[in-house]
Amino acid sequence: MDISVTTHSNGITELGVSGRLNMVTAARVRDAIQTAVDDNRGRVAVDLSGVVFLDSSGLGALIAGLKTAREAGGDVRLVRPTEQVELVLDLTNMGSVLKSFDSVESAYPHE
Amino acid sequence: MSDMVTRTVRLTAPPDTVDTVHDLLDALWPSVPDVSARDRMSLDTAIIELAANVIQHANRGKPITATLTVIAFPDRIEVTLSDSGEVEEIDIDGRFMPAPDELAESGRGIALMKALVDTVEHRRVDGFNHWTLVREREQVRQPDAPPRHLPSVSISGIIDEMARQRALEEMGILDSPPEDRFDRVTRLAKQLFGVGGAKINLIDGDRQWAKSTAGYGDEVVPRDKAVCAVTIEDDRTLVVQDLLADPLLADRGVPGAVEFYAGHPLQAPGGERIGALCVYDGKPRQFSEREKEMLRDLADWVQQELTASHELSRAAEVQQGLLPQSLISMPGWDIAGMCLPARAVGGDFYDWYPVGEGAAITLADTMGKGIGSAIIAATVRAVLRSAARFGDVAGAVDLAAASLNADLDTIGLFVTLLHGRLDMDSGEFTYVDAGHGLTVVARRDGTIERLRSHTPPLGVDLETEWQSHSVILNPGDVLVTASDGLLDLYDGTLDALDKIGALALLASTSAEVTDAVRARARGVAPDDVTVVVVRRDG
Repeated sequence: MDISVTTHSNGITELGVSGRLNMVTAARVRDAIQTAVDDNRGRVAVDLSGVVFLDSSGLGALIAGLKTAREAGGDVRLVRPTEQVELVLDLTNMGSVLKSFDSVESAYPHE
Repeated sequence: MSDMVTRTVRLTAPPDTVDTVHDLLDALWPSVPDVSARDRMSLDTAIIELAANVIQHANRGKPITATLTVIAFPDRIEVTLSDSGEVEEIDIDGRFMPAPDELAESGRGIALMKALVDTVEHRRVDGFNHWTLVREREQVRQPDAPPRHLPSVSISGIIDEMARQRALEEMGILDSPPEDRFDRVTRLAKQLFGVGGAKINLIDGDRQWAKSTAGYGDEVVPRDKAVCAVTIEDDRTLVVQDLLADPLLADRGVPGAVEFYAGHPLQAPGGERIGALCVYDGKPRQFSEREKEMLRDLADWVQQELTASHELSRAAEVQQGLLPQSLISMPGWDIAGMCLPARAVGGDFYDWYPVGEGAAITLADTMGKGIGSAIIAATVRAVLRSAARFGDVAGAVDLAAASLNADLDTIGLFVTLLHGRLDMDSGEFTYVDAGHGLTVVARRDGTIERLRSHTPPLGVDLETEWQSHSVILNPGDVLVTASDGLLDLYDGTLDALDKIGALALLASTSAEVTDAVRARARGVAPDDVTVVVVRRDG
């Protein structure tokens, strides 16, 4: 799994995650979101277009990140989840909390 | 049958992780015909959840070994993960998805699995956890139908396969070098039936491995190309006169090499069918009832050899170090001993070693069965050996009893033993008999004297005063001591000892007596059989 970090001029941190987001890699995603929240104001967009697999541990990391971000007044929004990620978000009913968008811009339109 | 695909893989975590399972699944799906993207995605997700759950929780952080089997039927896919983890009560029915606004970071795994497949089952069988997932394929399922509890059709088969594989591995025969005792059988089979080849094949995971080959034939054949893999599905002889013409087996034939096949299954000691003895030829041919009978007899022979090697190899691990490694030099005396464990490991042992102008001789029988008895037997031997260096016979037993009592009491075992010292010159045998009572002295004139037991076994009574007694062995006399397994070889009474005593008088060496008992015991003894014979030349 790889994570790329891009800080946009409007203060949004974009995390580009690719590979498998599971028990093995969950902690790294959690840490990456934590770092983004510490460095900026906690507005994080996680680009999941390269994530081939998400399981409940990976989902747990995103939820942990969401809690951290919200405490800092920010949010975690998902960008372009793949079909399998959508399936997991759907079946766990987490899609209503971790919202998905087509692009980083549409995730935070008013910034 | 032809649309069914089965794949089994093993993993051990650590070092394996769920990524290993991912890689396995990625390699597996291309071999399953017509699996839809949705089925694949759902099963991938459910299987990874299951594997993560097993790796994380089932063994409380200790390493775990698991076998993952995926069986694809035309209408459904069944997955079983069998693991060696400890028992864990899992209330599958009671696991529900946490509400989204609770933002719980964990606790979704099992609920997610239940949402992805039709069945999530957990069974505990024979020390293993078996998790089964069943998903009806998209081609046949109703769109958006809620999960249905479909019973798995393959779980019993998988458990059988697990047991089979484990039995095979426990025998420790896989990938061992050729052995003449097996090669004799295949050579004979090839000649007897006048065929191109004969093999002893073992079915190991997804391959067939040949322990012995006479004539032509590959050492390793993929399981799905092996006819013996079909033979082991039943306990009868499989005869196929013309493989290439057989609609179910044609793809396992080899034109010009394996067109005729006859095979009889081979069983592990526990009855699991682990392989087959087979004969084959490059042309179709007949195989008579009489020939089937002969093949079965040969297969029985192979099986006996397999069983013998299995039991001996395991027993050897524990007991090789227990038995005297070399003969001691005692001019005018001839000592022999044998110990044949009935099971994998036994609680009997015998021992002798030089002490002063003679030898210390011990025969002990640990009550109880299995590895615990064997460990105690090893301990008794070690303690007696070191105790024998101090003081007399009674003192040695006293010291041994004192140091073992706490252990024996804790595990609820006791040990009967005969421990004595032989004075080479005078022929005096001074001994303590702790609840053993299975020793006779056969006098040159043919009378048989039983040595009585005067004290209880070790581990029964802490207050025992160990008293020694003595008997003189004159030229031509033989002392025989045995474990109670010997009695079972005869009529089960102490008269058996008299018979062995009489036999010992007729024999010209002590080893002749132990050989005779060994021959009688092999394969039929229900208990460990141990005998020590001490004769004074006369």
